Amino acid sequence: MRLVIEVWRQDTPADSGRYETHTVDDATPEMSVLELLDRLNDQLVEEGLEPVAFESDCREGICGACGVTVDGSPHGPQRNTPSCHQRLAGYADGQRIRLEPLRSAAFPVIRDLVVDRSALDRIITAGGHVAIAAGTAPDADSLLVPHERAERALDMAACIGCGACVAACPNGAAHLFVGSKLTHLSLLPTGRQQRGKRARAMLFEMEQDFGPCSLYGECSRVCPANIPLTAIAAVNKEGLRSFFRHKDD
Amino acid sequence: MASARTTAGQVSGAAGPLLPGADDSALELGSVRAGRVRRPPVLPSWVLKVVMAVSGIVFALYVLVHMIGNLKVFTGVDHFNEYAHWLRTVLQPFLPYEGLLWIVRAVLLGCLVAHVGAAAVLWSRGRKSRGAHRHKGLGLRNFTARTMLVTGIVLLGFVVFHVLDLTTGTAGAASASFRPATVDQAHAYENLVASFQRPVAAAFYLVAMIALFLHLAHGLWTVVSDLGATGRRLRAVGYAVAGAVALAVMLGNIIIPISVLSGLLS
Ligand code: HEM
Ligand code: SF4
Ligand code: FES
Repeated sequence: MRLVIEVWRQDTPADSGRYETHTVDDATPEMSVLELLDRLNDQLVEEGLEPVAFESDCREGICGACGVTVDGSPHGPQRNTPSCHQRLAGYADGQRIRLEPLRSAAFPVIRDLVVDRSALDRIITAGGHVAIAAGTAPDADSLLVPHERAERALDMAACIGCGACVAACPNGAAHLFVGSKLTHLSLLPTGRQQRGKRARAMLFEMEQDFGPCSLYGECSRVCPANIPLTAIAAVNKEGLRSFFRHKDD
Repeated sequence: MASARTTAGQVSGAAGPLLPGADDSALELGSVRAGRVRRPPVLPSWVLKVVMAVSGIVFALYVLVHMIGNLKVFTGVDHFNEYAHWLRTVLQPFLPYEGLLWIVRAVLLGCLVAHVGAAAVLWSRGRKSRGAHRHKGLGLRNFTARTMLVTGIVLLGFVVFHVLDLTTGTAGAASASFRPATVDQAHAYENLVASFQRPVAAAFYLVAMIALFLHLAHGLWTVVSDLGATGRRLRAVGYAVAGAVALAVMLGNIIIPISVLSGLLS
């Protein structure tokens, strides 16, 4: 199958960037978006041209490194699927496909399709971790966590930090990402001890780069970890709780 | 790493501190800009959303009560005018004439300033954080969310017109036969009917009620998240209540101009 690829090219962060058009003649429906880029890059290298820079690592949906915007949709047109798993089955011979970076003012383009997602790292550094002396490993069953709670914490811990939720948001908000971390850590015994402090620190950091949530719901449509929209409410819940409680936990 | 503020969206050499040779070495480091989109805001966006939610609830309760009051128009001229008069004299002598009305007006005005102010700040922050490449092609799926600002502005325009038409009776907005309420008597019924007998006024009212429905349906659902409701059942109830209140307010109010235009009320 022949695909006409419009791909974003930008040599440096300071560059204004532009779309370049290339054709790949031997794309197949089972190829992923990243494999299409691999194919395109082989071609470009053969022609002596600079390959398109893009990020990927695991290619099995667990690392969060990949993430390109396909035809306006972060990660790609299939819902809740990372770029490395987005197949080309929906494309017909001769169709156009537009590839651009994840778009957000908080994610400056480093080069071509690679963006700087350190704004998310800064939020994690601020509070998205457990920083208490937990002591030696406790005896089994000495710290009981109800099954349902453990399941909920795990569901929220599934976020792979890809940043697609931010790029999907017309406001450039990071609520799904922040809410998933806040919920996950607030549900477990060690994380809970810093619940209030964490919320204050993460929200303080978040406010400097990301926008407000207007509940468009775009984020949870693209999230490859299936984080539900409920995570968004956790941002204000933890914010209000830490504000009124005024304690570290 | 140098840190300075940058202009959101445009990452240019002049706007932000780029690492030297940001192209290749940055590809390895994965970091090209230490600056933030904005300085830590005095009023964080999540707090402003709580302000919007609280003022939005006040508006929603007000329009709900107001709609129920409006339906008294179907109980006849005298009854409706007595109700309007009662609103002005209720709680006398503890409150002066129109005391309750002025308290409600003050609360609503305060909420309006807070609501519109917060909306403006949040809108501009959202644009800044999104940057130069807007999200396009959203289709109809979040139509109500995307039109909040538009429906809000329609509502603002309507509120101004509505006060000039039926409260102050200002010429231009009010019908020619407008009679202000006196200490002894209100003429709310006659004023209302005369106003709606003008098709343009009735049409604007209709448009405003549709805008109110769209604004409330999404707005009240947003309130659920903004006030931090994460429970599954609570959120389901919130979703249903948002839709029901929005629909009830719109339908309850819309019957009135329709009844006037069709001659049911005169
Ligand atoms: C009868 C009048 C009004 C009612 C009942 C009302 C109600 C609401 C409610 C319940 C919300 C959701 C609050 C939240 O974010 O949690 C909201 C949001 C909003 N309102 Fe209003 N509102 C009214 C007037 C206005 C006016 C005059 C504007 C003027 C521009 C406006 C602009 C907005 C905007 C832009 C939002 C969305 C904020 C966001 O999601 O980021 N509203 N409104
Ligand atoms: S919440 Fe989902 S979309 Fe957002 S960063 Fe985490 S995995 Fe990616
Ligand atoms: S490459 Fe690891 S999630 Fe896609």
